[in-house]
Amino acid sequence: MAYVATRGGERAIEQSERLFREAMGGFDKARVTEIKQSLPYLIDRVMGEASLYDEDLAAIALAQTGGELYEAVLLLRAWRTTQPRLQVAAPVEQEQLFTHRRISAAFKDIPGGQVLGPTLDYAHRILATEVLQGADYKPAPVDPAEAPSPAYQPSVSTWQAENDLLDLPDPDGTEGNDIPDLTREPLLFPSKRAHTLQSLARAETGGVLALGYAAMRGYGQAHPTVNELRLAEAEIEVTHPDGRSFSAGRVKVSQAEVVDKKGEKLGIGYAATFGWNEVKCIAAATLDLNSPGADKGAPTEEEFFLYHTEGVESSGFCIHFKLPHYVTFQSSLDAMRDAKAKKAAANIAKEPAE
Amino acid sequence: MTDALSTLARADAARLKSFAETLVPEFAEIEVLQSRSGLVMLPIRDTAKGVAFHLGEVLMSEAHIRSGDAQGYGMRKGHDLEASMAMALVDLALTQGIAAERCQAFCENEAAALSQRDIETLRRVEATRVDMETF
Repeated sequence: MAYVATRGGERAIEQSERLFREAMGGFDKARVTEIKQSLPYLIDRVMGEASLYDEDLAAIALAQTGGELYEAVLLLRAWRTTQPRLQVAAPVEQEQLFTHRRISAAFKDIPGGQVLGPTLDYAHRILATEVLQGADYKPAPVDPAEAPSPAYQPSVSTWQAENDLLDLPDPDGTEGNDIPDLTREPLLFPSKRAHTLQSLARAETGGVLALGYAAMRGYGQAHPTVNELRLAEAEIEVTHPDGRSFSAGRVKVSQAEVVDKKGEKLGIGYAATFGWNEVKCIAAATLDLNSPGADKGAPTEEEFFLYHTEGVESSGFCIHFKLPHYVTFQSSLDAMRDAKAKKAAANIAKEPAE
Repeated sequence: MTDALSTLARADAARLKSFAETLVPEFAEIEVLQSRSGLVMLPIRDTAKGVAFHLGEVLMSEAHIRSGDAQGYGMRKGHDLEASMAMALVDLALTQGIAAERCQAFCENEAAALSQRDIETLRRVEATRVDMETF
């Protein structure tokens, strides 16, 4: 491998960035607010993949990159490194989630009942083209119920454990800085479970879906049934310098439990992420469900899916191929030409003398 | 968890700042130990194996102040150093018993407003409850 220094592209490089940014023009706080309010699910996806929760920063990243998602996530991952870590919050427990949506495809009568919450699952997919003719798009308002829904519910798996369908997990007392953290330690295999789930939480949605879908279609060993899907808000429980704990606010989270029905008890997989992103959680939980015992090189094997769903690394590796590879490519061409010449020479040598 | 602190952390930012300003003349000298933004890592417990793992970091604003032996602390979501400082001032006042009645009334009013907002949210969520019948 050899490197050569080149020059001559400075002006082109500067103008190319200007050309990119010119298409969006400048932006101000009003555009950031508009993006934040009108595209909450895109904001959620970006915050989840950046593993940095702040709607304003995510909206700025989208405005600044014109919605180029990989660039937006990279901007946020880079920005987070400029900030000090103030604390590690207390682990969020299921029964403390302020729940907006909780459904189960496995059991009709889960304790607490099924609450659909906000969803387009049952919507007619009709594009509102009338807006282009000048009409406003006005969705019908919700008719609130008289009584509020219970905010807090245990996970469906807790109820199943009480009914001997699942084994309750052993309590894990790890907290604070003792919880393994991928932003400070390398991902090594076999992966610690805390690393696996953290990596899936910040994984690229499309990548997780592709590999999760491969498992669902039959390239995995287990067929998922959604045991519980939940969209909720989690409290950020921090500590006052005098030792008192309090909630410093809430963030949106989504989580999924998926189960399969082999053997005497249910197998279970789990995933969660920042923001409301159901597809990612169901696909990631399916990968978690399928990973024990998966063959090396299978999409459901943890090394395969964790390496290939890390969006910043995978997109960065992909786009690096467009950067100049003149030396390596010329070297390969030289080898090809040399092989061709040798083959031609050998053919001449084989020809009988006249 | 401490209710007053949890309330102050989620209280309306504009009202919190206005209220904290009225407290400033009541304090003796205040030393600012910290006023900054930063990240709080948020772990969650996996229900399959019970393991705590990190979801990611949340942008927060933090203020830590001292007056004599008493300390005040504020931590709120997002980048708003004035709001976290306002929270720290109200916390300090509560600790020192300064303007105690007004501080308690402020916290109670904000707690009621937050609770009402939650109830409104949950009434809308309840409207989506499935009353399922099978045939």
